[in-house]
Amino acid sequence: MKVALFVPCYVDQFYPQVAVASLQLLAKLGVRADFPKQQTCCGQPMANSGCEQEARPVYRHFVETFADYDYVVGPAGSCVYHVRQHFDVIDQTPAVRHVRTATVELFDFITQVLGVTELPGAFPHKVGLHLSCHGQRGLHQANASEMTPVRDGQLRRLLAGLEGLELTELDRNDECCGFGGTFCVSEAGISARMGQDRVADHVRHGTRVLTGGDMSCLMHLEGIVRRQKLPVRVLHAAEIFNGALA
Amino acid sequence: MSQSPTHAQRSDLFLLDAERTTWHDETLWFVREKRDRAVYATPEFQELRQLASDIKDHTLSQLSEYLAQFEAAALANGVRVHWAADAAEHNRIVLGIVRQAGATRVVKSKSMLTEECHLNPHLLAHGVEVIDSDLGERIIQLRDEAPSHVVLPAIHLKKEDVGETFWQHLGTEKGLTDPQQLTEAARQHLREKFLAAEVAISGVNFAVAETGAVVVCTNEGNADLAIGLARVHIACMGLEKLIPRLSDLAVFTRLLTRSATGQPITTYTSHFTRPAEGKEMHVVIVDNGRSQQLGRPDFRASLKCIRCGACMNTCPVYRRSGGHSYDFTIPGPIGAILSPNIDMKQHASLPFASTLCGSCTAVCPVKIDIHTQLYKWRQVLAAEGHIPASKQYSMQLLSRVLARPSLFKAGGAVARLGLRFVPHALTHAPGYNPWAIARELPTPPRQSFRDWYAQQGPTNAPA
Amino acid sequence: MSTPLPPSARENILAAVRAGQPTAVPLPAVPAFGGDDSVEKFAGLLASIGGEMVMLASLSELASAVARRYPADYHTASDLMPATVAVTAATGGETLAGIDLAVLRGTLGVAENGAVWLPEANMLHRALPVVAQHLVLVLDRRALVATMHQAYAQIRDVGGYGVFLAGPSKTADIEQSLVIGAHGVRSLTVMLH
Repeated sequence: MKVALFVPCYVDQFYPQVAVASLQLLAKLGVRADFPKQQTCCGQPMANSGCEQEARPVYRHFVETFADYDYVVGPAGSCVYHVRQHFDVIDQTPAVRHVRTATVELFDFITQVLGVTELPGAFPHKVGLHLSCHGQRGLHQANASEMTPVRDGQLRRLLAGLEGLELTELDRNDECCGFGGTFCVSEAGISARMGQDRVADHVRHGTRVLTGGDMSCLMHLEGIVRRQKLPVRVLHAAEIFNGALA
Repeated sequence: MSQSPTHAQRSDLFLLDAERTTWHDETLWFVREKRDRAVYATPEFQELRQLASDIKDHTLSQLSEYLAQFEAAALANGVRVHWAADAAEHNRIVLGIVRQAGATRVVKSKSMLTEECHLNPHLLAHGVEVIDSDLGERIIQLRDEAPSHVVLPAIHLKKEDVGETFWQHLGTEKGLTDPQQLTEAARQHLREKFLAAEVAISGVNFAVAETGAVVVCTNEGNADLAIGLARVHIACMGLEKLIPRLSDLAVFTRLLTRSATGQPITTYTSHFTRPAEGKEMHVVIVDNGRSQQLGRPDFRASLKCIRCGACMNTCPVYRRSGGHSYDFTIPGPIGAILSPNIDMKQHASLPFASTLCGSCTAVCPVKIDIHTQLYKWRQVLAAEGHIPASKQYSMQLLSRVLARPSLFKAGGAVARLGLRFVPHALTHAPGYNPWAIARELPTPPRQSFRDWYAQQGPTNAPA
Repeated sequence: MSTPLPPSARENILAAVRAGQPTAVPLPAVPAFGGDDSVEKFAGLLASIGGEMVMLASLSELASAVARRYPADYHTASDLMPATVAVTAATGGETLAGIDLAVLRGTLGVAENGAVWLPEANMLHRALPVVAQHLVLVLDRRALVATMHQAYAQIRDVGGYGVFLAGPSKTADIEQSLVIGAHGVRSLTVMLH
């Protein structure tokens, strides 16, 4: 099985430790992932701004970069969703079709491709899980409150399986954090307010470590946590599992 | 780009009052939770959504036939049917009917269509008194405001605001804030208007093609009261309100209020087929851009909307920006996909007033792919030149960088260096970087991942 | 029957609609979702929407049950029991507005939502069920159905005018505070026999 690590542009530049943790976590699970270094970005920032036309060369570059891999694994549900969902506007060559289905989010890969549903280790902290909308509603990684009162999902289960970890029960389990890509600057006021409300829900219920599978949401929430000088650490779930797993 | 204020600019005004924003968010979230409880308690709810979606898809695919069938049935029932291509024609027709009836006093129940057409000012300008009878609509009519929600038109107001308005206009005691007493005052005031009205105008929730009946759903009973007492009933409907069969109403009535407010059904679900003996009933069928939207394959599904307002209640942006921030008759996510069809330039910022979180799509009882349409409108707006030129230019630049790894690598290093060395005061200066108004920027690492990876060497087996 | 208009308005609109219509897709059949049609279910729903239920051992108890619940000086309109105000389709608004209580026969009750179907034929006047201050709907307990699917299947023809009435008139337009008695009846009681 030939696996590539897809490291979203902002993770590469600002959160390298998340990519390192992803790579190491995969290695511990027996998967040696390559990092094709010509990779750049999925093109979502442009497309979400209405510039899908401008994003097409980026899409084609993405496909060329990853066409030879069986799986393209990324620690970011939103980027993965973009590749799977929105690469429909370029010619659907066999390579494009392959890359769209081969691109999977890190925890989808671990649980569904590798079939690993439990990760051993301990993390004795009160942990708040932030569900990324694209992961949850786009990739169907977790139940949505619009459909059912049952709060469930693969990342929630994996976290709950860590020794000593206590999950925070939020008032609003799956409200959007307000990042939204370029929304965070074009609608900066609403975006910040949404993030503040999301963080407040966590703080109110005792979250000490805020985590999730999508670093873009976490980047936004971390910015608010640090501005408000709150006693909350923000970690990508890959960092937690990589640290917990011997 | 339009010169009118953007959604973000109007939102910033709403956000100034942080406490009221909290209240607005929590009030609408409370409605969303009521919706959730009703949905969870209905085992076949998801199946009903699919049926409703399929029925509406079918109806839109044969809409001209269903409109003709509806018209024929309505005419056979003794109903007069009128066709209006746009808002102006709609208003002319309604005024014509009122004048022909020799009437000057009109009572209107809730109709988003007549709001869309700005019927009230037209009637008032021609000497016709028109009274909105839905409590929320009456409150905002007295305040000369637009509705901020399709189901809860006065949801932007607090009871103190209503008390002030009723004190000024209805002569209630100053400082009265009890909703029960305020509602009672409105009941007494509006009873007189109901009794005096010669013409009753209503909206239409559903128009049944096979019977020619129109169905109006209210909780207050204002439509039935007005129509039951007045000589003339004018029902105004957008041409997308058609459903094929009487039995389809079962699907839609089961979905409508559960989605809207969590009620199992509206208090009044009223079927108007024929005028009462000696009275008149008119139906005005309005296009006003709908046939154009029907012709847009990516956006025609927006015409399936049954105006439940669930997408507003669930939208994390709407709840914090208020309905008026959309500056369109239908606010919220559904308004943001309907409005560009009417005027792309004026409403260009609305499809961008979303994080594309998808909650709107997940609650929509007729399964409109709202967030996908928001995304697609962004593409159309950019292609038609309705996004700022600076944005388009920077995206072109970004594209060039991202399609070439060597440029990307250099660009990233510059960004990280920039973050490390530019003083906090500069990167966080308001106006310079909107990100930094409320958030810290990420701490730039010394090394990007790609640099780290390159250092691991070819035999790198990270563990 | 249409009022004089530019002759092409209708044709233009229909042509524009026809031009925009996508390829025809089929109309789905709606399954007959059943469910609980018990008196208990109906009563529970009715209570949850602000209505009340009274069980009558037989229809002959109607007048005495009404007399026990409402003041003797109420202006009452009914075709089911002795009334104090005679109402026909020709009755004027001022007379209707003075009615305290209407007692009318519903033909069908829906257990999933507490609604009762009231056809025009049973209203005396179209405005009566909404203009009266209080409303009693008399209903045969055998006329309960589970859901709206069964309800419409049974009604088949809604007539010139007909209403599903689900509890008393209500509003939550002021700060989402529920207030009973907006414009229509202040109370709705179903008397089941």
